[in-house]
Amino acid sequence: MKKYFYVFSLSLQQAMQHRASLLMDRVRSVALLLSLYFLWSALMQNQDSFLGYSRTQMLSYVLCMNLLRAFVLSTHAWDMVGEISSGRISSYLLRPIRYFGFCLARDFSQKVVFLGSALLEVFLLLWCLRATVYFPGSWRSVFFFFVAVWGAFFMYFFLAFLVSSLAFWTSESAGPLFCFELLLQFTAGVFFPLDVLPPYVQGWLHVLPFPYLIYFPLSIYLEKLPLSSILHGFMMQGVWMVILGWVAAGVWRKGLRVYMAEGG
Amino acid sequence: MSSTIEVKNLAKVFRVPEKSPGLRGALSSLFFRKFREIWAVKELSFSIQKGELVGFLGANGAGKTTTLKMLSGLLHPTSGQVQVLGFTPHQRRIQFLKQISLVMGQRSQLWWEIPAQETLKLNKEIFELGDSEYQETLSELVEVLELQECLDIPVKRLSLGQRMKAELCAALLHRPSLLLLDEPTLGLDVVMQKKMRQFIREYNQRYRATILLTSHNMDDVVALCDRVIIIERGQMLYDGELNRVVERYAPHKLMTVDFQSVVDTERVAALGKIVSNGGSRMVLEIPRKEVSSVASRLLSQFPVVDLTITETPLDDVVRRIFTRTLEK
Ligand SMILES: Nc1ncnc2c1ncn2[C@@H]1O[C@H](COP(=O)(O)OP(=O)(O)OP(=O)(O)O)[C@@H](O)[C@H]1O
Ligand SMILES: [Mg+2]
Repeated sequence: MKKYFYVFSLSLQQAMQHRASLLMDRVRSVALLLSLYFLWSALMQNQDSFLGYSRTQMLSYVLCMNLLRAFVLSTHAWDMVGEISSGRISSYLLRPIRYFGFCLARDFSQKVVFLGSALLEVFLLLWCLRATVYFPGSWRSVFFFFVAVWGAFFMYFFLAFLVSSLAFWTSESAGPLFCFELLLQFTAGVFFPLDVLPPYVQGWLHVLPFPYLIYFPLSIYLEKLPLSSILHGFMMQGVWMVILGWVAAGVWRKGLRVYMAEGG
Repeated sequence: MSSTIEVKNLAKVFRVPEKSPGLRGALSSLFFRKFREIWAVKELSFSIQKGELVGFLGANGAGKTTTLKMLSGLLHPTSGQVQVLGFTPHQRRIQFLKQISLVMGQRSQLWWEIPAQETLKLNKEIFELGDSEYQETLSELVEVLELQECLDIPVKRLSLGQRMKAELCAALLHRPSLLLLDEPTLGLDVVMQKKMRQFIREYNQRYRATILLTSHNMDDVVALCDRVIIIERGQMLYDGELNRVVERYAPHKLMTVDFQSVVDTERVAALGKIVSNGGSRMVLEIPRKEVSSVASRLLSQFPVVDLTITETPLDDVVRRIFTRTLEK
């Protein structure tokens, strides 16, 4: 266990060394945050609620989304893809450490850094706008929210690991990951709450794992879901976690069989 | 199972997509991928006992690195059996990984942006080494490899030689009982090469570690290995004592002589076979036993400015063995 903790702390150091790229990442997030905020403000100019969201709820959705995105959707998947296609992954395969655990520890370090930075951004914005955010009426919602966040965390990790593992097969490995990230942002509810979509689209989306990454935890936080839907959501998270974990492990094992260990 | 390495009929085939030239080729390969098979290793069998230091030789592309990668579990063999330390390498059991190390000249396990020290500490955790065990090995390695000043500088700022040494340090921290070295002296200057050899020899003797090393440098092999395995196109060419190879295929050393002025070629030729003649610089081929006497005669009879003695290039030796085998 200690080895993974050490990977975590070393990655943290590495992230501090890469301050410029960290800053760029956060600037992108802030830009998204601001544009979403102004877009929704413009849409809601003359009305108190829009598509079932009050002003406060909408602002809260956008701000919380920024936090969740920093925590759930941050990943070192691009590094993993690079390591596989360049053969740098060999150096980890040769040492008695599980690459899966290594990635988890490394991702976690990024999540900590991003979350810290996202919190700062949100507080700054709140202070500038002198706005209030929604806070759940019951502690039960807060508890469910945190459970859902951890569910989302693992689902996303398995998903990203799975997609990155495809780099074992294709040399143009940036392709799958790039498509995946783009598709994911839309379907997870980063750009808008998914219940603004037509019901049949929503119905289809909720069979997929993506809405359970961002939209589902946020809906719990904003107390928009009855208990039965929350429980159903947890069940979906659980099922997807098992499926994705199982497939990711299988693809990884198959990938190692065809791995060419290039370079050196 | 008594051998440290036991390889039987080992083969590795790489399937690489075939590229047809031109735009049409590119378009058609979008839909029909043709694959070409490359037999990097083909029917290789050998075994190595505990404590041996074996040179693993062959021309470029012979399959040395591929074999080392299979021995360390990075590559799954296409067919054949490999047993290393009683394990099947590609299963990558923790107990197996704790006992081996593969060092590749161009590959680094050190984290680039942070000092090597940190990677060493990471390895301490990864290999689950005790504090005292770690300190002891580390101070020993730091001393022998003269790494004192290199460990707290970000790795990207180290010179090639310093990085190689730090690399070796990271690879040996857990005192592997099997060490696979892929061209360990590549890119190092002569002094460093010598130190590196000394170090490898010492590690082998001190811990009775088994070492398999590849090199294109005859000096490495002559200095270190009693036994060599030579492969060509993935197949065994020779497995046995180095002495016999040297006697049969490298009976000469090369002597490069710089004269003060152009000298009489015939008089020089009387001392040994002239391989190349550049007027005031000549390269002679001298039988091993006569090297010192020829050198002293050259020095006394000619206005010599400089004289260096080198081994026959390893790749020439391999080529000679190869042509000889073809003739048979
Ligand atoms: N990942 C790969 N994909 C396709 N072909 C490969 C791959 N790795 C090696 N080969 C091919 O396999 C053969 C053996 O390569 P290998 O690297 O084992 O040679 P080597 O003996 O180490 O040579 P060198 O002395 O130049 O390092 C070569 O023909 C090489 O082109
Ligand atoms: Mg090689």
